[in-house]
Amino acid sequence: MTFATLRLRHGLMAAAVAVALVAAGPAWAWYLDPVTPVAHEVRTLFFKALALTGGFFILAEVLVLVAVLRFRARPGVPPATFHENVRLEILWTAIPAITLVILAGPTFTTLKYMETVPKSDLTVEVIGHQWFWEYRYPEHGVVFANEPLVVPQGKIIAADVSSIDVVHSWFVADFGVKMDANPGRVNHTWFEVERTGTFRGQCAELCGVLHGDMHIEVRVVTPEEFDRWIEQKKRGA
Amino acid sequence: MSGGSHAPSMTDAHAKPRTGISKWLFTTDHKLIGVMYVWLGFFFFAVGGLFALLLRTQLASPGLHVLKPEVYNQLMSLHGTFMIFFFTIPILAGLGNYIVPIQIGARDMAFPRVNAISFWLLIPAGLMMISSMFLQGGAAAGGWTSYPPLSDRQYSPGPGVDLWILGLHLAGLSSILGAINFVVTVTNLRAPGMTLWKIPMFCWAVFITQCIILFATPVLAGALTMLLTDRMFGTAFFLPSAGGDPVLWQHLFWFYSHPAVYIMVLPGMGMISQVLPVFASKRLFGYKGLVISTAGIGVIGFLVWGHHMFSTGIDPSLRFFFSLASMVIAVPTGVKIWSWIATIWGGSIRLRTPMLYAVGFIALFVIGGATGVWLALVPFDVQVHDTYFVVAHLHYVLFGGSLMAIFAGLYYWFPKISGRLYNEKLGQLHFWFTFIGMNLTFMPMHFMGILGMPRRIYTYQAQYASWNHVATLGSYVLGVGMLLFFVNMLWSLWKGPRATADPWEHIEATKTLEWTVTSPPPAENFATLPIIR
Repeated sequence: MTFATLRLRHGLMAAAVAVALVAAGPAWAWYLDPVTPVAHEVRTLFFKALALTGGFFILAEVLVLVAVLRFRARPGVPPATFHENVRLEILWTAIPAITLVILAGPTFTTLKYMETVPKSDLTVEVIGHQWFWEYRYPEHGVVFANEPLVVPQGKIIAADVSSIDVVHSWFVADFGVKMDANPGRVNHTWFEVERTGTFRGQCAELCGVLHGDMHIEVRVVTPEEFDRWIEQKKRGA
Repeated sequence: MSGGSHAPSMTDAHAKPRTGISKWLFTTDHKLIGVMYVWLGFFFFAVGGLFALLLRTQLASPGLHVLKPEVYNQLMSLHGTFMIFFFTIPILAGLGNYIVPIQIGARDMAFPRVNAISFWLLIPAGLMMISSMFLQGGAAAGGWTSYPPLSDRQYSPGPGVDLWILGLHLAGLSSILGAINFVVTVTNLRAPGMTLWKIPMFCWAVFITQCIILFATPVLAGALTMLLTDRMFGTAFFLPSAGGDPVLWQHLFWFYSHPAVYIMVLPGMGMISQVLPVFASKRLFGYKGLVISTAGIGVIGFLVWGHHMFSTGIDPSLRFFFSLASMVIAVPTGVKIWSWIATIWGGSIRLRTPMLYAVGFIALFVIGGATGVWLALVPFDVQVHDTYFVVAHLHYVLFGGSLMAIFAGLYYWFPKISGRLYNEKLGQLHFWFTFIGMNLTFMPMHFMGILGMPRRIYTYQAQYASWNHVATLGSYVLGVGMLLFFVNMLWSLWKGPRATADPWEHIEATKTLEWTVTSPPPAENFATLPIIR
């Protein structure tokens, strides 16, 4: 398979998925319109995975369908008797294995990219409670809970995620960010939002009765607006 | 030793044949025990299924108040617990119990009394689970995963979690005893001449599954004991405030619970490997490859548990290892898929109900397999972990996989076990309701999850509404299908036409030993032990 055909398959697959998913959801979804560098990378990896595994998937389903339609019992037509073919068996072990090795490459680079928190412009501490989120801005001495997190657009935000009681998980699908909030540990993640707006998420780890109501709202504003907002917060407004 | 043809009788209860209820209560006959496992399994299947319908009703639209949040969480937790520990695992043990000794040409399991104990342990286990719903505080509500600290006493003070732990302990003990029994039976009681490469594929699958149970289930038992002492005796294995670590539970739990997926799906794959050749009138393709890939899955299955923990903050290099191992496991799984397709290719296919389910199994399991590969990729997994995408994936594996296979096996062996024929038309109707309802219910969950809808929430935001309507509709289609199934089985048990020894008219190459004896087989299966050539 040449690189060009891979690109073509990749493109076709992405187009097919895009069509299916546009029908499925709103236009802002991360796989159509990623808003963070990580979400971009996750989307690219997802489409690569689709392109590389899609062929096997379609082949298997088509062969099953063809076999069932074509090889129905008919009087006078005896069934075939073959029951092994070493060459074929080696082939269908080796080709998927090689495909997975190919897929492991971008998985590793994307993992490394997500994992390495770059030098951040702002640190926020995210603390899960039953059933709300507390946010702290240690560089500014600002602490609040049960309100939207506010961050500046185009800046690298380091999030230190933990919990005060049970395990929660801070999940904003648009950002490609999901990080468990474990009591007794601090997990590190990061995001950089490319545009302003309000983004919604919610707790992704079952945390008790009102787990379903533990929403997340992130307001992304211009750096100037953020400065005004944080000054106001510092004054206790 | 593989059992001489003069092997002495192994059950002692047959001297004076018991009748009525005591025939069941005191039996050590593997066939009666197998049948009881199946009944118990379907009881919990019905209860767990009704719970699922209630959950889907609550989720039909956003903001409904069919169930209170705390009740939702309890039913959701029990749905998972029942379907895994009280339906899938026991019913596979039951079918294995009935079929394996006959297929290897034995008169019973190696330890018939232990076999009876294995079954009867499930009764108090199930009663504990069910009774916990009616006690103060209700049943365990932390999901079937029961992560601490949520499952610790501070956050789940009632007796629900304690009964959940003790119930699983008993169910686990039942599994472990059963595993010892199966491993010894297949190792030692094969009929003369049944060498390793002549063991039927279903028996291989059960044997390998039972080996997995033997290694994995004690770890779950250990973890459950630690959780219990945390709750009851003030230890702090998982309690961060006293130096414990909740993530440790997740490691121990998934060290058992990922292999548990294979415990639930490998015997089903064995049934598929049995049913496909029979209804294609063609020998199983790549038998040795299938045995080796099953064993391979059994081994690699112990190295992938970390893929349930990609968002917990475990070390990135560890994540990469688990990612690779989880991808690798797709290779032996693929070998099975291609071998099954090659098995039916060129055959003379009879699309009877077991065959419909077997082919449906392949079609659906391939979907669960593909999404499984995607979930092995850490960055994509983090994006959809704990969303409905995972709910979709696991139901394509356990419903599309295990349950479809259980139906294939059950319809296939129903005449053998009951001595009667089921209604073919109703069976096929049941298949179409199941196949269509299954896809209507679970396919949209992929989309919900990719959009970002978390799992285990009792209500959701309006943007997920349309796909949830479809999923709830699908679950009702499934409900109707299952009613057809129960009606068919009960009616046929009572009034179905009598079955001959071999109602499926096997060709010589696909005819395993159970089809050489009457339906149902006589006590102790064989008057003289068969010799395998």
